[in-house]
Amino acid sequence: MLFWVLAALLTLIASLAVMLPFLRRRGDQRAGAEHDLAVYRDQLAELEQEVGRGLISKADAAEARAEIGRRILRLSEAGKPDGGAGGERSARTIAAAAVLAVPLVSWGLYAFLGSPGTPALPLQARLTIDPSQASIDELVARAEAHLADNPQDARGWEVLAPIYARLGRYGDAAVAYRKTIALTGPSAAREAALGEALVGEAGGIVTAEAEAAFERALEIDAANPRARFFIAMARAQEGNTAEARTIWEKMAAGLPQDSPWKEVAGQAIAGLTGSEGEAPGPSEADITAAEEMTPAARQEMIEGMVAGLDARLREDPADIEAWRRLLRSYVVLGRKDEAGEALERALAAFGADSEEAETLTEYAETLGVPQGE
Amino acid sequence: MSVELGHFALVLALALALVQTFVPFVGARIGSLSLMRVGEPAAITGLALLAAAFAALMLAYVQSDFSVANVWENSHSAKPLLFKITGTWGNHEGSMLLWVLILSFFGALVAAFGRNLPPTLKANVLAVQGLIASAFLLFILLTSNPFARLQPAPIEGRDLNPILQDVGLAVHPPLLYLGYVGFSISFSFAAAALIDGRVDAAWARWVRPWTLAAWAFLTGGIAMGSYWAYYELGWGGFWFWDPVENASFMPWLAGTALLHSAIVMEKRSALKIWTVLLAILTFSLSLLGTFLVRSGVLTSVHAFATDPTRGVFILAILVFFIGGALALFAFRAAALAPGGLFHPISREGALVLNNLLLTTAAATVLVGTLYPLVLEAVTGEKISVGAPFFNLTFVPLFLPLLAAVPFGPVLSWKRGDLVGAAQRLHFAFAAAVVSAFLAFFLIDRGSALAALGIGLGLWLIFGALTDLALKAGIGKVEPAAAFSRFRGLPLSVFGTALAHAGLGLTTLGVVCVTTLETERILTMQPGQTAKIGGYALRFEGLQPFTGPNYTEDRARFILTGADSVRLGELISSKRLYTARGMPTTEAGIRTMGLSQLYVSIGDATNDGGLVVHMWWKPLVTLIWIGALVMMGGGGISLFDRRLRVGAPARRKAGPAAAGEEAA
Repeated sequence: MLFWVLAALLTLIASLAVMLPFLRRRGDQRAGAEHDLAVYRDQLAELEQEVGRGLISKADAAEARAEIGRRILRLSEAGKPDGGAGGERSARTIAAAAVLAVPLVSWGLYAFLGSPGTPALPLQARLTIDPSQASIDELVARAEAHLADNPQDARGWEVLAPIYARLGRYGDAAVAYRKTIALTGPSAAREAALGEALVGEAGGIVTAEAEAAFERALEIDAANPRARFFIAMARAQEGNTAEARTIWEKMAAGLPQDSPWKEVAGQAIAGLTGSEGEAPGPSEADITAAEEMTPAARQEMIEGMVAGLDARLREDPADIEAWRRLLRSYVVLGRKDEAGEALERALAAFGADSEEAETLTEYAETLGVPQGE
Repeated sequence: MSVELGHFALVLALALALVQTFVPFVGARIGSLSLMRVGEPAAITGLALLAAAFAALMLAYVQSDFSVANVWENSHSAKPLLFKITGTWGNHEGSMLLWVLILSFFGALVAAFGRNLPPTLKANVLAVQGLIASAFLLFILLTSNPFARLQPAPIEGRDLNPILQDVGLAVHPPLLYLGYVGFSISFSFAAAALIDGRVDAAWARWVRPWTLAAWAFLTGGIAMGSYWAYYELGWGGFWFWDPVENASFMPWLAGTALLHSAIVMEKRSALKIWTVLLAILTFSLSLLGTFLVRSGVLTSVHAFATDPTRGVFILAILVFFIGGALALFAFRAAALAPGGLFHPISREGALVLNNLLLTTAAATVLVGTLYPLVLEAVTGEKISVGAPFFNLTFVPLFLPLLAAVPFGPVLSWKRGDLVGAAQRLHFAFAAAVVSAFLAFFLIDRGSALAALGIGLGLWLIFGALTDLALKAGIGKVEPAAAFSRFRGLPLSVFGTALAHAGLGLTTLGVVCVTTLETERILTMQPGQTAKIGGYALRFEGLQPFTGPNYTEDRARFILTGADSVRLGELISSKRLYTARGMPTTEAGIRTMGLSQLYVSIGDATNDGGLVVHMWWKPLVTLIWIGALVMMGGGGISLFDRRLRVGAPARRKAGPAAAGEEAA
């Protein structure tokens, strides 16, 4: 309501401004010639100054004076006052139209363009919306804003970390878990969750950093199922399927019936069996996929994808990202020899001294691909 | 609510701009003084409304109100307050609003302080201003509305382009717009004169201060933009002949020509038609610059968002105003009476030469800027016209102009004496030649080109000083008399001398940097030392650092002089702005005297080293100091009492007295 009052007030002021010249009558009107005359007089005065300073010779000065004089003469011949007194009646009509046009144009256009009902939402207002109305992104942003101001709030980090992981923001989740550990000290659950976030960030690969986190977790609590599961997955990804199977079987047998990890371990074993000893690396996404597919079908799908990628790279070897994917796939499938062979092909394609070769070799080292030499 | 009030104020400003366009124009046609007067309150109220709209937008930025789409697209709640404020015009919509705000600011100045203008002229000027404002307000409201709302409001914004997160954004666009838009007043005066079919003697006097003010602002705006690009982009260059830079340079060249031809028109009533044409061309080039930068035709840091409808709309505005003004010119120019005659060798002649060279230079820049665009539009072929083209075309035009500058002020009006002028300048010429020889023999690696350039720069500076000395009569009269004459010189004489000397300083800076600069690119390990320009830099290592909305790796360098005295620290960094995931390089710059040491870091190498690019730039700051001196010259001229003459009412009690004294 206040908005409409203020808008009306603004309109009124604008309309009054247009009427202003009609409200006060003033009749000072000067002919344009007077302005011109003032300029010429000033030019004459300036000329005298220059003569005084000796900047211009007497003869030149006389000529210049004569020229300005001629201009003044021409002026008095042509001099006519501008503007007239006529047309004041039609002027009133036009003025009335103009005064009316101000509210018509402004309100009409605003009705078309404006959104008067939309409330303003500055940062402060947004952060204080009722939490039950807020979306998960808003809640996360609010928590982030809170933690930016209070970075020592361990509880905040601990709450936020699993939400990040759920949203797929693994990097942020890892940071949050690290903060929690730094602020409140390590626990098996936190270290294992940190490891899982790192695995997520690496796209399903249990990196050395992640494995270290799981090992720290197992030092505190040797029975932590999450850490045990992923250590086994690390073994499987290294090709040591026997050890992986042992750990998973122990988990499947030893864990209580209601533990979610019991079932996950069972599925992992099924995956190992399905690929007949060749260890697929079940990342979290794979686990989900495995629930919907028979192991054989899944294995077939993956093998098909990898074979297709391999064939494509034989024809067009210039895509470094595709090579990375192929290397990783072979490692995940536990076919390290084939990974080594693919690496050699890639190095041949890019040239052994090229930048790409260097990148790929480094990458292969982190995956543990056996190298030619 | 403030956002919607701002929106409403913007719409209301459009309504008033329309009134300002039509009512005074009709009033001038039917001779109604009251109708003519409507333009004044309309212009002033319009300014107040636009200021309110701008303030509302700024408030939304400061409060990070992301229910406004424009704020959401260009701001972030973690941004420092200064950049929240400057971010208001760091985007297409906001910068167009600033453009119109400044336009209406100039219009309101004419309305408020142009009391001595003949009523019809003033009415026509305000009508043309109103027409420009209406066109751009319509453009803003229909294609780039800064007050468009978003519901529901996103929780976090997209952040401002990191390159723009700099104090430069607080200074460069407002100055540049004050320049660009200031020329609209000269344009309106020209259009008004053409509508009336007559140019008063005082016309040039009324146009000059506006042109001068716009020119001074534009000079400052371009210089600031150049310095900003120099330190922010990390390439170490001060001018790239980038189309966007050219877009601001063309109005500057044309505006400089206008400034000079207006002097001829004022003093000698000559070059009337030419001056009117230049006034139209200068603002046309400003509009063209706005079109090139705002339409998305060019990709650069200035092209915030590309939307074809905007380009078409601005093109239509461009065609309407430039075409309309030129048509009016073609129709009416014959009616303007030609003025005084002059000999080719005279101050008028010198100013005509200045005009010819400046407009030709502007034309070459125009060709170099538009040709690639036209070619791409016609054949689809992409070419880039860069420094080599401009070095071959622009520089040969500009060198004779620079060489001729000192002659202009010492030539007399109407009929000059070239030999006499040359004699008066012999001291400046000798001093410049001697300095050039000294530069050639004394400076390391000094080439003939460098020596000539340095000589040229000093010739301009000494020439400007000689002009002052001559006008004061130093050497001709007693020192005491000369001093009092010196103090009594009109301010515009000082303005001219300062502006010309500033041009010399800029020339000197450009020449020194392009010919004497040294550059090194190397990979440095922590602890390693590199020598450049007589100084030594020791790389101390990289340190991570977290800013409010970015993280960066800072490379620290310890700077020592020739005798191993520690002079201080230099920091260059690689920044990552987290919201946009956009990296930037922050150059480390150390000013020593007028020269600078410029360090920009590259990528880290595998063995722990860092690629470092360093330059020693002798006298580089003169480029911008010169521009500031030019700007100062313009400012001093503005205070010359003579610019306010032609104003009978100012010096008299009332209209009756005016008549008496004029008689």
